[in-house]
Amino acid sequence: MAGNDGRRGARELSPQALGVVMNLPAICLLLLVLAYPVVYAGYLSLHRVGIAQLRRGVFPWNDWENYTRLFEDPLFALALKNTILFTVLVVVVEVILAIGIALLINRTSLWTSRLARLLILVPYGVPPITNGLIWSFMYSFQFGFLNRVLFSLGLINDPVNWAGNPNTALYAVAVAYIWRTLPFAVLIIHAALQGIPRELHEAATVDGASAWQRFRWITLPLLTPVIIVILILRTSFAFAVFEEILAITQGGPGDASFVAAWYSYKLTFSPPNNIGMGAASAYVLALLVGLFAIGYVRLIYRRIA
Amino acid sequence: MEPRGLPRLLMHLANGLVILFIMLPIVAVVLGSLQPEKTLQGESRRVIPSEWTLDNFTVILTQGQQKGRIFEQATYLPDNIKSFYRAFANSLIVALGVTLLTVGLGALSAYTVARLKLRWALLLMQANVVARFMPAIVLMIPLYVVVRSLGQLNTLHAVILTETGFLLPYAIVILVPFFANIPADLEDAARIDGCTHFQAFWRIILPLSAPGLAACAVIMFIISWHELLIPLILNSRPEFMTLPVIVASLVGDVHVFFNLLMAICLLSLLPTVFLVALLQRYVVEGLSAGAVKG
Repeated sequence: MAGNDGRRGARELSPQALGVVMNLPAICLLLLVLAYPVVYAGYLSLHRVGIAQLRRGVFPWNDWENYTRLFEDPLFALALKNTILFTVLVVVVEVILAIGIALLINRTSLWTSRLARLLILVPYGVPPITNGLIWSFMYSFQFGFLNRVLFSLGLINDPVNWAGNPNTALYAVAVAYIWRTLPFAVLIIHAALQGIPRELHEAATVDGASAWQRFRWITLPLLTPVIIVILILRTSFAFAVFEEILAITQGGPGDASFVAAWYSYKLTFSPPNNIGMGAASAYVLALLVGLFAIGYVRLIYRRIA
Repeated sequence: MEPRGLPRLLMHLANGLVILFIMLPIVAVVLGSLQPEKTLQGESRRVIPSEWTLDNFTVILTQGQQKGRIFEQATYLPDNIKSFYRAFANSLIVALGVTLLTVGLGALSAYTVARLKLRWALLLMQANVVARFMPAIVLMIPLYVVVRSLGQLNTLHAVILTETGFLLPYAIVILVPFFANIPADLEDAARIDGCTHFQAFWRIILPLSAPGLAACAVIMFIISWHELLIPLILNSRPEFMTLPVIVASLVGDVHVFFNLLMAICLLSLLPTVFLVALLQRYVVEGLSAGAVKG
């Protein structure tokens, strides 16, 4: 089978060497596309980098000016505040909904549960930017689908400006974001639910435990590890929300729904293209997300060990 | 123990609400794309329009050649709508390229993590898990500067390489548990028969992990089909735009109304929604392997 006359010892690489060879392409690419840019972003964030500097190829040192200006910018403070508010809202609502829906679609004796289970993954297939545009049609003040439905049901008399009102814009984006990302959370919790032995529930029922008691003392403790995983993953991804903001509010109205990734993007890629300061703001975002990432690694590797 | 009476009714009701929430935007995009601008504007309080049309799709799919009845008088159509096929092809090239590279390179790397028992490979794995959290915007600012200085803006290969680097950690994270789950006996038996480690990987582990490779591939395809920020920043010329970039370019274009917008939205979501529906089992397995099995 091996075609080497069974004398592999002579030709075979040691596991160490083989490991290096097999990882070489991945490591090269990751150094090029992940590690180097992260270091280079740090360099850019400490220098003056605009379109003029890009053309000349010289980036003068500007003595932490990017960071000092960043922390004096009220818009950056607002973007950070909005990002945290958005993330907390999305994560809390999503986890609660996902637990409820996962329990619901686990009831396979109900035909509506089977139908919901069949449809739950649909939003995962929708591209984020498309999702944003669909919701901008849903929310449109004059022509929106949501207002059409509410008019038809007689629930409103005047159109509601869902995404154009500074008090509700961020929440409107949050609903669209939750719609797209909910399937992942439901799926993970549903998979964990199926891993809980039936006997546990049956024994508790025999002992007279109510449905709530069984959920509180059997299901919830067994779901805790996956719930924590979802909390960490969703927190760090929601911190970087971009597409739905771009499509629904563009940070508006005014700057009511500015978030961190949108702030960095606008600063860097629209005139006057302050790339140095954009890199500084992105670095702050990376630092926040990095803390969660390290927490995640410690969590899952402790559990495996 | 099955619920009866009122609890059962409440569960049906809750399921109804879940289904309504999932389907409402889908109904909106379908209804929006099948009507003319006239009814969309004139009947702003009706859900079901009085007039139906396929012209929105006709104008996109014929790249503006056939305008149909509703765009007869239209003097302006955004160029990006006319390059639909080009964008579709670009998206396909990028997504297939990224899928092949991430699954190929990811499998090589995941094998060393899962089966070779190397201390540093485990560290590499942890670095991959951390890398997965890196927001794209953080990488794209320096990468824009680098790619620009190399004169590689507006190319498909820069997009493919960047997305591959960006997604490779996730591919490895998905593949490792599949490789780790294959019984050690099979590989040991092959080793006794004279296989090298690499031959054991190639002839035993890879074929037995076919479902895992498929799960990883379908997820990689979906994510790269959806990716906006990387091609948006690297490619600004219409002939190199991918489908999400075309869709994003229509945001805020006052000449494009929701009927045409919803038609292009529907066209852009169909491929991956079909993929998710057809390959549901693999999507579910891949996502849960990548999230909790570490």
